Amino acid sequence: MNKQRPYKVYWLVWTLVLAAVAAAVRLWQEATAFEGEYGLPIPGATASVVLVCVLVMAVAVLAMLAARQPVVTPPRAKVRGRRWDMSFFATGDSVFLALMCISAFCALASVPILFTKGRALWKAYQVALAMKTWRGGDNGVLGMVTAVLALLAFFGLLQIGREGFRPGRRGKGGFWAALPACAGCGWLLGTYRNCAADPVLWDYVPLLLAVIAGMLMYIDWAGMSCAAARPRRMLWLAGMTVVCSWVALASRPDTGTTLLLVSQWVAAVAALHRLPINLQNPPTVGSEEKLSAPTGMPQEIEIPMENKEEDTHV
Amino acid sequence: MDDEVREVVTPPSRTQKDTSLGYELYLNVRTLVFVLAALILVFTFVVRIIVVSGESMENTLQNGDSMLVWCLGYEPKQGDVVVVTQRSYQNDSLVKRVIATEGQRVDIDYETSTVYVDGVALEEPYIKEAMQIPIYGEGVNHVTVPEGCIFVMGDNRNDSADSRYPDIGVIDTRCVIGRAVMVLFPFQDFTLL
Repeated sequence: MNKQRPYKVYWLVWTLVLAAVAAAVRLWQEATAFEGEYGLPIPGATASVVLVCVLVMAVAVLAMLAARQPVVTPPRAKVRGRRWDMSFFATGDSVFLALMCISAFCALASVPILFTKGRALWKAYQVALAMKTWRGGDNGVLGMVTAVLALLAFFGLLQIGREGFRPGRRGKGGFWAALPACAGCGWLLGTYRNCAADPVLWDYVPLLLAVIAGMLMYIDWAGMSCAAARPRRMLWLAGMTVVCSWVALASRPDTGTTLLLVSQWVAAVAALHRLPINLQNPPTVGSEEKLSAPTGMPQEIEIPMENKEEDTHV
Repeated sequence: MDDEVREVVTPPSRTQKDTSLGYELYLNVRTLVFVLAALILVFTFVVRIIVVSGESMENTLQNGDSMLVWCLGYEPKQGDVVVVTQRSYQNDSLVKRVIATEGQRVDIDYETSTVYVDGVALEEPYIKEAMQIPIYGEGVNHVTVPEGCIFVMGDNRNDSADSRYPDIGVIDTRCVIGRAVMVLFPFQDFTLL
């Protein structure tokens, strides 16, 4: 018998501390590690080295937390058809619902901004083509595609929050969580396309890493509804999403990108808030008492050996 | 003899369990997403595919050619075809050949269509045609390349905005994206550079 530790608190505290430190170092780097009119990087700048160290430390710390995350495997019969509920059933958890709603509406708010910007770039591209003055660059298509996908992500995120309050239904949740992952694909391609000609990696690598972390988190989130569940990896990715998003936000990106970043880090915080609770206290669907058990209070549970496997919800 | 009949319930094997359409679909989507993420990382840190826009590198590169550009740990060397960005001129990248690196002296003689580096005339079988004085004048034609910079020119000397052009000038090596190593597309132009 083991004492249950409040892993939810560990996750949130470590993640937010690491994110705050990384963002602060990023601001320091922006102030000291670039020179000239076009912001070329100063080779071997202290702030750049420190930022790399902080990011590596974040990877390691979150990986250790994930490796030590207790996961209780309920009997197979209780899990079958309810894999999603085992991870994200959240009846009575208004924090989870509120976070998912905030995340969804941030994604929604980015839609008109991204679409308007993409459309303006597309018009400029058409004019430049007609005048034969096009010198390459962003033609706005991927911006508009990202806007449409962000709209789908809004429905997906809202539905994820809703599914936490609706027990049962085999395979639920997976499709909806895949929508923000698909939005991440479009966003990633657009971001890369816009930055491919930039020789200064620091200008865009934090954003690329944030988008990739968020995209992988969502795709693992979608997998929680089927036998491909990787709860520990998902926790790690959620932590990295928060850290990388804060670093990217410290660079003060445009409004559309900022909203998408806020959307994904709020969703990641929601996952870090809910998932460790359910992994340690597998909910009995239909019984809300289990869910409302305070995670900060020690409880005695037994962690079977097979929980060492990643795929717990079989 | 034990006459009790026991119902033997065989748990579904992993194969049976995991063959639902949703599961298979999810695995495929997950694979695609992971591959996309890996490709973006590789195309950010290791290599890039860049499409040539313009005629400034003819006959070595044609307009519309897709090149594989090596980025990881690249240090510019004389004679390499490189992709650079000079934001004082344009936001998109430029493809040029490195004529001289830091500390070298470049002298361009338009009368004989010859480029001298440290007083030695370059043999340039790759240029399209003999150089003529550009439309903007002789530009930067006698220069010692400063530390951390390179001097680049297009192979199509008479239709190339390069280090001779005052708005571009010598290029900071931090603006170098990488070295073009081969032409990938179209297949008939496939060649190592």
